[in-house]
Amino acid sequence: MTRIITVEEITRVEGNGAIEVEIEGNEVRSVRMRVLEGPRFFESLLTGISYEKVPDVVRRICAICTASHALASITAIEKAFKVEVTPQTRLLRDLLIHGEMVESHALHLFLLALPDVLGYTDIVAMTDKYAPQVKAALGLKAAGNMVHVALGGREIHGVNERVGGFSTIPSEGELQKIRDALASSKSAAKLAVELFAKSEAPTYTESENAYMALDPGERFGFLGESVLTSVGGSHPVEEYLGLTNERAVRHSNAKFSTYRGREFMVGSLPRVLLNGSKLEGDASALFRENRGKLRADNSLNNNLAQAVELLHAVDRSIEDIDRLLSDGVRKEVPMEVETKAGRGVGTVEAPRGLLYHDYTFDEEGRIVSANVITPTAQNLANIEKDYKIAAGRLVKESDDKIRASLEVIARAYDPCISCSVHLVRLS
Amino acid sequence: MAKPKIGIFGLTGCGGDQLLILDMEDALLDVLGNFELLRFQMGSSRKIEGPIDIAFVEGSVSTENDLARLKEIRDRSKCLVALGNCAINGCLQAGMAGGKSMDERRKRVYGEAEFDSKFVDSKGTGDYVTVDYRIPGCPVEKEEVVQAIVSLLMGDAPQEYTYPVCVECKLNEYPCLITERGLPCLGPMIRAGCNARCPGLGVECIGCRGPPIENSNVAKEYRMLLEKSFKREYILNRLAMFAGSTEARELVRKLREESK
Repeated sequence: MTRIITVEEITRVEGNGAIEVEIEGNEVRSVRMRVLEGPRFFESLLTGISYEKVPDVVRRICAICTASHALASITAIEKAFKVEVTPQTRLLRDLLIHGEMVESHALHLFLLALPDVLGYTDIVAMTDKYAPQVKAALGLKAAGNMVHVALGGREIHGVNERVGGFSTIPSEGELQKIRDALASSKSAAKLAVELFAKSEAPTYTESENAYMALDPGERFGFLGESVLTSVGGSHPVEEYLGLTNERAVRHSNAKFSTYRGREFMVGSLPRVLLNGSKLEGDASALFRENRGKLRADNSLNNNLAQAVELLHAVDRSIEDIDRLLSDGVRKEVPMEVETKAGRGVGTVEAPRGLLYHDYTFDEEGRIVSANVITPTAQNLANIEKDYKIAAGRLVKESDDKIRASLEVIARAYDPCISCSVHLVRLS
Repeated sequence: MAKPKIGIFGLTGCGGDQLLILDMEDALLDVLGNFELLRFQMGSSRKIEGPIDIAFVEGSVSTENDLARLKEIRDRSKCLVALGNCAINGCLQAGMAGGKSMDERRKRVYGEAEFDSKFVDSKGTGDYVTVDYRIPGCPVEKEEVVQAIVSLLMGDAPQEYTYPVCVECKLNEYPCLITERGLPCLGPMIRAGCNARCPGLGVECIGCRGPPIENSNVAKEYRMLLEKSFKREYILNRLAMFAGSTEARELVRKLREESK
């Protein structure tokens, strides 16, 4: 007898996705992560578009990681035209990616994932019992968004980050306010580590994982030029196609990725596993304290890894602001750009993992071809692997229990389903 | 009095308008506390069925599944609010499609691969169902959403901005980016409500609050930018970005034809 279990709409994630599992007797016949979000074909929309408009278009792929898309896009463009930016711009961009990490991780951990741990439908329902904690969590999320507003101009789809630099540099007063907000809500980041360390992650997904992350250089961070993999080796970001190998599958509007013929994972857990020794301060201490729990063979540990990164991101944002303030903030304008025919690949660690933007331009700086590969698209095959393993172990449980567990798995990857769709190479 | 029942839904888009509700942060609990929340796809795992007083829908209709869900939402809701450009007119996936059908673009990007999903040309919700109120923007403005919610709670219609960004820019006494710096700013034609954020940062308006407002002189702006030696294709691409509505796409198409 065939048993079909369906999650028609995955909730507390970004975008529209469904899960289908087919069980025959005690055997899982098939699992499908259906990406139902419609395609928007950004690469096709970009053809012929002038370079300076490109970040404004592609950041609209996703609202949660809008600054990551903008940064990857700007980096690709600057590499194609060989634009060198100032040290202050580099520092402001480091602050921007860390601010985005604070906002996004706080959102995911407290608003989307924690209700599962504590047994609630959402954060609104949690307020009766956990009012001070909820308030602190929202305060931390707000502090991350202050970075978006100061550097991008608003929380979502900023406008101020440009090719060559920033249109308007934030004032020292504004930076000081963000610093104060981050410092006063740092305790919420520690609370996140505590909560996710205390709650034992379910074991139903336990299985071998391959994974990869950007090499951040000497210190932990989210910007870099080469990719580290769990099977060893370092690859320049320009060689990303060999790392992602996308293919279309019928049941999903997003393509699926594999590396050396198998699925792999990107995101916080891969980052702390590959680069955790480079963490500093409180994040390093809590990483070492929880090292035994941050096992590679359980993707649900991504939540705890995010919590460690959240603490890192708060501290690094404060450090970046302190450096900006002690150096003195200069009123710079974006660098001049001279267009030329060429190609550039820009890569950042978005909150959910590796994000690639690859553009080829004509002499006048118009897009000839574009390719964007998002973290969630890379994770889809691994998510299905986890569904299959979990469904096999939970086969004797009720449909409701299986459904809830499958949603917990999806959420642990913090998927951006909008991001994952339609992002394939235009030849 | 019973609290009004609301549902917050997302079709195809970037999720930014739902996220903006979560971004209310300090105000989030106060705002949601006024309602009985039946659904909030991005923020809650509640799946409570039954009639809804106010449905907020973000995202464009880009698949048959989007359309089926939209109709279902409409059927159970007294009032439907289109939240953001995607839900109003299909945003850039409609505006930038350049007259190419979804089918052509699909083949170009995915080749002959087949899918279980049926894709349709991206459009706003109003092309398929009755929309009661529209809150524009990519994304929407937080204050405008809060004000709209307050209005709806009071039984009033949300306020609409009927003048362009230029007005807010002048009230803020920002230097004009067109005349002072020669930038291709769309402020003269685009709906206000953002307090001229971009010109305030020295960035020209790219039109993220939707297609040109009624009675704006698009042809004049187009000619002015041509006189400033911007290339035809460049200006039209800019005009097209957020011009998702049928009228706006038609306008851009005509300008393209006339200038050939």
